[in-house]
Amino acid sequence: MRQFFGMSQSGNLAEAVEGLDNPQFIMLMSNNAQFETHVKALERYYPGVPSIGCIGMSYDIRVVEEGVGVVAFYDGVSAAANVLEQVSAMPVKYIKRLEEDVQAINGTGADTVCIDFCSGNDACVLTTINTVLKHRGISLAGGTGDAGKVAVNGRIYEDAVAYAIVRNLNGRVKTYKENIYRKYGNYRFIASDTDKENYVIGTLNGKSAKQVYKSILHVTDEQILTQTFQNPFGKINGDDTCIISIKEVQGDALACFRQVNDSDVLILLELADYEAVVQRTINNICRDFPSRSAVFTVNCLFRYKLFCERGYMDTYLQEMSELGSHAGFVGYGEHYNNRFVNQSMTCVVFE
Amino acid sequence: MIFSDKRWKKPDRGQGSEQGLYPVLHVADSLREYQKELVSKEVESLWELGLIGSSFMGVMRKADHFHDQLSDFEQSFSEINSVAGQFGQVRGEISNAVLEAQGKVEELKETSVQVEKSYGDMEKTFAQLQTAVEGIQRCMKKIISIADQTNILALNASIEAARAGQFGRGFAVVATNVKELADEIKGLAEEVDTGIHEVERGTGELNNSISASQQALNRNINTVNNTYESFNKITETAENTVSVQAEISGVIDNTHRDLQVIGQFFDEIKQQYQDVVSHIERANNLGTTKSAMFEDMDNMISQIAPILDEIES
Repeated sequence: MRQFFGMSQSGNLAEAVEGLDNPQFIMLMSNNAQFETHVKALERYYPGVPSIGCIGMSYDIRVVEEGVGVVAFYDGVSAAANVLEQVSAMPVKYIKRLEEDVQAINGTGADTVCIDFCSGNDACVLTTINTVLKHRGISLAGGTGDAGKVAVNGRIYEDAVAYAIVRNLNGRVKTYKENIYRKYGNYRFIASDTDKENYVIGTLNGKSAKQVYKSILHVTDEQILTQTFQNPFGKINGDDTCIISIKEVQGDALACFRQVNDSDVLILLELADYEAVVQRTINNICRDFPSRSAVFTVNCLFRYKLFCERGYMDTYLQEMSELGSHAGFVGYGEHYNNRFVNQSMTCVVFE
Repeated sequence: MIFSDKRWKKPDRGQGSEQGLYPVLHVADSLREYQKELVSKEVESLWELGLIGSSFMGVMRKADHFHDQLSDFEQSFSEINSVAGQFGQVRGEISNAVLEAQGKVEELKETSVQVEKSYGDMEKTFAQLQTAVEGIQRCMKKIISIADQTNILALNASIEAARAGQFGRGFAVVATNVKELADEIKGLAEEVDTGIHEVERGTGELNNSISASQQALNRNINTVNNTYESFNKITETAENTVSVQAEISGVIDNTHRDLQVIGQFFDEIKQQYQDVVSHIERANNLGTTKSAMFEDMDNMISQIAPILDEIES
């Protein structure tokens, strides 16, 4: 298979797809104002080609912030794109679509991946999708788009998740998750008094979540929201750690960008040597895949801001491009198999 | 808004739902309640597990502390052993000092014997001196006797001279001169005799002093002999410290071995403690995966109500 990335900083879709012939799967990353136009135009350009889209920034070695970016796979993939609707209440209502698509593509965990763009209620969506994917061991990589809209096969949906089952016909597929944070101190908290619908942590080890965070990191209420760049929470799931960013202070509680449940075990994280972490990820990918056709990544908006602030974003994209064909989009939350995480990078690598 | 919120509608549970999907809804609600209880129990379990972990870390720290103290104790015993080893050195030094002192005492003894011999020689010399003095005394008495006889002869000569008259006058002068010489010799002899008596008395006193010194010297020789014996006893006593040191070393070695056994026991216990800690960590990790499963369960069960609502409506 091969990967195409086209872009237009001015939002000209024709310019972005210039040179793209016979794609077998397309991903559209557009801006809020032109999203609908771009979705329809793309369908006209490539009728019947499976496609998913969302509102968000895209990149290869440069970032498209307000224009349009197109990622396409061709020459050796089979793909099916579809949508689960009503995700805030009952994405499972549409689960048959996913089952049929997985059946149609008929791949395995070794050669097939699910890529998704979601408009919200990510944790529930991922749980639901995983009930199907897990039977075939198919991995998932994806993220959350902006403005609560996604597109599938030329049509826009709200309160939905757009997904694509993509099978590499000429090799393997594998997903990765990158965490640029490490454990801070020796703290271990059991969350309770949570409001999982509003992503609120009431108490940690029986004490006010806000007070716990403030007393450990010696920050004021106002500093908490910026401190989360440096010290987010980590939710322990076996040997894995899922990053959870703090969204706002609510009284003595903390609202986050991800659902936290009673009995979740949390730790505090701190920013690690992210350049070394990135290099380690690249090395791991190279070790697993000496020959790579495509690398598609989803980077969190928090990471994008952090890397830009520290003047590392261009270097980062340059380093990732050394893997070969690399493209991706900036999400508002990242998806890795059945886990919804913040401040991370997830990616799928095609052999 | 970065992430949209997930808000469930509360199911409307109206009357007359027996023929509808309400029982399924009820089952879903019950499942969610059970799931909530399960989560609540899991929070308690994790909390308890955390407390067990913390307490056990305390036990581990105490065990480490005890092990350190045991090592210190072992070190102290080694130091005692090392100090006991210095007994040998001290014993050697005592023996050397005693040998040196014995040498000096021996020297003193020999010197005393020589002095005693000298006193003996002096005694003999004094005896000879006394004999010589007595000889002189006898001579003096004889001289005095001759002087007396000379005096009588001079007197007789004076008388004969007087009888001879004019003719004997010169002879009378000679007789007077002889008498005067005899008197003078007698006076001198008496003075010598007096001096000899003084010498005799001094010699007697000196002889007494030499005898007293000789007696004192004899006593000293006895004391020196006794001292020599005392030094032998000191050496024997010092030699005894070797066996005391050996006994101390034996006790310390035994204690050292016992401590090593205790140390090994604690090492084994520590290994078992670490096993327990790793089991606690494993249990904690499993607990965290359960919380992810609870989330999945909740995510799935939560969808039943809106689906049923939609079907019923």
